[in-house]
Amino acid sequence: MAMRSQVYEWTNLAPTSTGSNIRQSSNPQAVSIDANKALDIFIGGKGTNITQPASTTATQFVVIEDIAASPQSGGALNVRINTTDYFQNPDVTQQAGVPGLASPYPRGTTSDGATQALTSGDNVLPSFTLTPEVYVLPGQTWSVLYTCTTAIVGGAALAGNVAAFVKYTLYDGPDSLIANKLLEMGITVNPSNVDWYKRSLLEQQSRAMATPNGGA
Amino acid sequence: MAMRSQVYEWDGSRGTITLTSANSLGKSLSIFIGGVGNNITMPASTTATQFVVIEEIAATPTYFGLNTVNTTTTVRGLVGAGTNAYYGPLAYAQIVINTTEYFQDPDNVSNYGVAGAASPYPRSVNFQPSFSLHPTVYVLPGQTWDVRYTTFSDFGVALAGKNQCFTKYTLYDGPDSLIANKLLEMGITVNPGNVDWYKRSLLSAASAPAPTNGA
Repeated sequence: MAMRSQVYEWTNLAPTSTGSNIRQSSNPQAVSIDANKALDIFIGGKGTNITQPASTTATQFVVIEDIAASPQSGGALNVRINTTDYFQNPDVTQQAGVPGLASPYPRGTTSDGATQALTSGDNVLPSFTLTPEVYVLPGQTWSVLYTCTTAIVGGAALAGNVAAFVKYTLYDGPDSLIANKLLEMGITVNPSNVDWYKRSLLEQQSRAMATPNGGA
Repeated sequence: MAMRSQVYEWDGSRGTITLTSANSLGKSLSIFIGGVGNNITMPASTTATQFVVIEEIAATPTYFGLNTVNTTTTVRGLVGAGTNAYYGPLAYAQIVINTTEYFQDPDNVSNYGVAGAASPYPRSVNFQPSFSLHPTVYVLPGQTWDVRYTTFSDFGVALAGKNQCFTKYTLYDGPDSLIANKLLEMGITVNPGNVDWYKRSLLSAASAPAPTNGA
């Protein structure tokens, strides 16, 4: 399992209306989210969190392939590698990132988060794909930041729920070395290209064995 | 029938013991032998001549909304409290090979798996997948595998179709299992197209004219 498709879902849900919980909790309540304030979906202290910042070890390579957020309340997501935000304005100033309206989660959800009716409401589909993907090299720290333009109300009644989603592939051990090699060669790091590199190594090896002196 | 597309659907409302808050909430349930919902007779495993490629897992989705009117308890076919704005089971599906859980969080700790909102079952206009299982997951000969379903909301827990999980896999048996292993060794993706390609290359090698000196 040296090359694995991975997902992370963040929701503003916790056992009580304040704070966070490591992963999901049972029958959770909505946690309030401030407007226009970037929130780390991994360790931001609101909703579902993990135990430590997302980072790669010396033998790991991460390729972030998709980010998506609830479209309502002006939600948007940005990727941060170490201290650098990936999405910027054309004048190289800071921005909130990819709007949930461009990359909705779940796909097909309503644009305004309306809950009044069974069948009414629109279906938001993605206008955005993360191509080229974002690479997190060995030893780097990364995070995904959620920002909303309208505050989300927490609590048990009249509360609002939002979610964010990240899809990435984790290359570990030998596959991480191959991913680094592909990066050096200027080839896109994806499962097919890692397999191609393995095959070419094997072909080289079998050609060397077929020569009379072992290719030496 | 040495290469077969297979599916398995689990529903918490089926079987002799159905899903309840007590037996499900926050608990990781095997959809094969978890004792709740429809089950099979023994753990899913491969024999020495079988190779399984898991290609998809999906679960009942969840809708995240803004609760402007808190009397609604059903949104887009999903059940909620009406006091909170999420509707559906807050469900996740995880793959386990032997004792190893496949999906991990970025802190390298195993999580509950793919959210139903990311990989919904059934798919609809309202709920479309954000996730596809690529690369696919291989279950090698002699391994045991499982799909675990975890739900975190008990609204409508006993209703049919409100807690479902689905897996799609391909079973390679007999000679095709040997070819699947060979492809794995060669670093080639195991799928029906590549298995067929390997068979064709074996046949062309066998039908090629022998060298003139017979060596």
